[in-house]
Amino acid sequence: MASVVERIAGLLPADRAITAPDALLAYECDGFTVHKQRPLCVLLPLDTGEVQAIVRALDRERVPFVARGAGTCLSGGPTPVEPAVVIELARMNRILAVDPVDLAATVQPGVVNIDLTTAVRHLGLHYAPDPSSQSVCTIGGNVAENSGGPHCFKYGMTVDHVLGALVVLPDGELARLGSAAGPRPPGGLDLLGLFCGSEGTFGIATEITVRLSRDQAAVRTLLASFADMTAACRTVSAIVAAGMVPAALEILDQATIRAVEASVYRAGYPADAAAVLLVELDGPDEVLAEEAAEVRAAFAQHGALRVEEATSPQDRQRLWKGRKGAFGAMGRLNTDLYVLDGVVPRTRLVEALDTITAIGRRHGVVLTNVFHAGDGNLHPNISYDGRDADATARVVAAGHEILQLCVDLGGSISGEHGIGSEKLAHMPLMFGPDDLEVMARVRRAFDPGGRCNPGKVLPSRGACAESQKWPAMVARVLDAEERR
Amino acid sequence: MTAVAIEGAAALQALLRDNAAAARRPVRLCGHGTRARLLSPAPADALHVSLRQLHAIERLEPDDLTCTVQPGVPCAELAQALAAHRLELGGVDAGDPGTVGGLYAADPLGPPVPGGACPRSTLLGVDAVLAEGLAFRAGARVVKSVAGFDVHRLLVGSRGRLFAATRLHLKLRPAPPTRAAFATPPLDLDEAVERCLALRWLPVPPRRLLLRGTGAGAAIHGCFAGRPAPVRAALRAHDLHEAPAVADGHLAAPAPGRELVVGRVRAIRLLELLRDLPAPAPFVAHAGGHFEVELAPPDADALLQRLPALGARAAVALGARVGLGGDDDQAPAVRQRLLQALDPLGLLR
Repeated sequence: MASVVERIAGLLPADRAITAPDALLAYECDGFTVHKQRPLCVLLPLDTGEVQAIVRALDRERVPFVARGAGTCLSGGPTPVEPAVVIELARMNRILAVDPVDLAATVQPGVVNIDLTTAVRHLGLHYAPDPSSQSVCTIGGNVAENSGGPHCFKYGMTVDHVLGALVVLPDGELARLGSAAGPRPPGGLDLLGLFCGSEGTFGIATEITVRLSRDQAAVRTLLASFADMTAACRTVSAIVAAGMVPAALEILDQATIRAVEASVYRAGYPADAAAVLLVELDGPDEVLAEEAAEVRAAFAQHGALRVEEATSPQDRQRLWKGRKGAFGAMGRLNTDLYVLDGVVPRTRLVEALDTITAIGRRHGVVLTNVFHAGDGNLHPNISYDGRDADATARVVAAGHEILQLCVDLGGSISGEHGIGSEKLAHMPLMFGPDDLEVMARVRRAFDPGGRCNPGKVLPSRGACAESQKWPAMVARVLDAEERR
Repeated sequence: MTAVAIEGAAALQALLRDNAAAARRPVRLCGHGTRARLLSPAPADALHVSLRQLHAIERLEPDDLTCTVQPGVPCAELAQALAAHRLELGGVDAGDPGTVGGLYAADPLGPPVPGGACPRSTLLGVDAVLAEGLAFRAGARVVKSVAGFDVHRLLVGSRGRLFAATRLHLKLRPAPPTRAAFATPPLDLDEAVERCLALRWLPVPPRRLLLRGTGAGAAIHGCFAGRPAPVRAALRAHDLHEAPAVADGHLAAPAPGRELVVGRVRAIRLLELLRDLPAPAPFVAHAGGHFEVELAPPDADALLQRLPALGARAAVALGARVGLGGDDDQAPAVRQRLLQALDPLGLLR
């Protein structure tokens, strides 16, 4: 008699069902490499019908499952925490419809983020959410994580650009959330808004209708370097206080600049600067002329060392190359990289960065900062050797303190990477038992059986320590800290 | 009807907890009552709970572009407080007579233009109380957070059916230096819709854009916002003339014996929707998709029957048959379980 895994794998042709242990290695983690768990098998459906058939079978067999796109998530979202089937959606990569008049497109979840913009560029349109991984990450993954990106300061997160979704619920039923007419039906609940960012725990979106945006008439990209981080942050505040909403406001610190400039992502950033601030303005030409002058004035007022402006689309790409490649460039610093993601009110950036530096020093970790300054979304990066248990423990402790700092300053433990398995132990920093209870009730409404990406987002007291290795490690470190 | 006026979140929590534990009366949440017309009548034995005394602007951080308010703050008062800092809350009209909590719970308009700011896009987080008296928080007070499930999003358009918000964290934006409301003379429907679509398609569309008229023809109303020069240039380029701003973008209550049908339609289907309306039927249709039409009941039935073919959705919002056509057919089992999970006794009505 066939085993459960054999029966499940048999739902698809052999070339779209991965069961060989060595082939499954590629699916044992996402961008958060600390936590690894090899799936039972990986299935690669092509359409909604196949996803529905798979989920129904898994429901019958009572086998947990996890949907996965390109695996670029940085919080362990698509990595199982217990034996589970991975439903890999990367082959569901068709753009199903583009409506240039209605400014909407319907895509399968495996469409790569940048590919949608590429496909509609000739119409003068683009898809606005642009996470740094946009050249590989999928729109389905973006919906699951409610991804942001450098341009979400002006244009909003993924949830602000999704109009509707066809969803395979955890019991295999189909549901249409929202529609091309709008994300919430008149008199109805905003189930689509709730679904976005649910980290694959409420079901699998198999068709997604998104809003396309008109290309702006012009774009101006400016880069200023500063002798200290405080001046860079204050420049950001001055720009916003002047009433401008730039498309992007990004800061890289000196350690990041040096890593970038020593890497293939070299962008010509001044390596002696303590910080560089990248400002992008978009809109009508006449507006940009005024805004660029005001931005330059803010640069000057806060003592910018050097200012440059992109002179061509290629030059603009150069300036962005360093920012978008910053995480990749960190690979030069050590074998492992822990990319933190926390948010503070923008006015507390200087205070937060000073304290983060002190935390890094105290724990003896190598810390660099690259962040979305406009919305206070910090990405402290800790480079370390994951084979060194002591180093890893210090990274965990520093990370926890940094997230506690974000909460203490009135912020959040995640701006765009999600909770996944990485931050389960950090959720109580921000939410009390009653808050988590309400979230758990909402989750059960979507997934009464608890089989859709179990063990994510909400900390579970009863979870097996081995299956939640990373939170368990965090808990151990915190216990040790408390005993000290 | 007398409402119990709540003066603090703790008092609300205690009231709801005691009610759930003993009397279990249905609960109707209310503010200034300005949007009560959108709700079906409360049960006769309902406990009316007014949140209008929760009216503090608790925190306003101009440099962070955020604020925290209690639900009973009048929209006009908040708009005035923000204007003092050259800020605004997208989707809040300074002339709105209702409360902020009511605006978010009703979300009567959605985005005024595609991607335009509205309650859905400006709510960052809430403190709230379930019908059983359980107080909880969701979301955050910063402009960006994906921590936990976004339960706060369920407030928008929930009409008080899921929980009572006692504190709302909101995202602000700089107020534009210039606003220029405009209006066209009455145009035939084809021309009105075509020009409206063209304006909607601008890289920087008007902040507000709507058609107001009857089945025989319509005028375009809107408002450009931004720096003075481009605003003037946009008016010139589209042969538009400044005019007094349209009050609130809604139709008045229908005449006796008639009904107000309210719904959403994709812009490209707008002309098909409007063409088949009876000639004298008044309507307003926003570029963001929201529309309202006043019809006699047989015409309302005919419109509701046509909507699925247009990919549109609507319901009778005012008149003898309030709610007709308004079945929220998205994931009915999930919706039912959600209502059951957050209000197991079904007290919030």
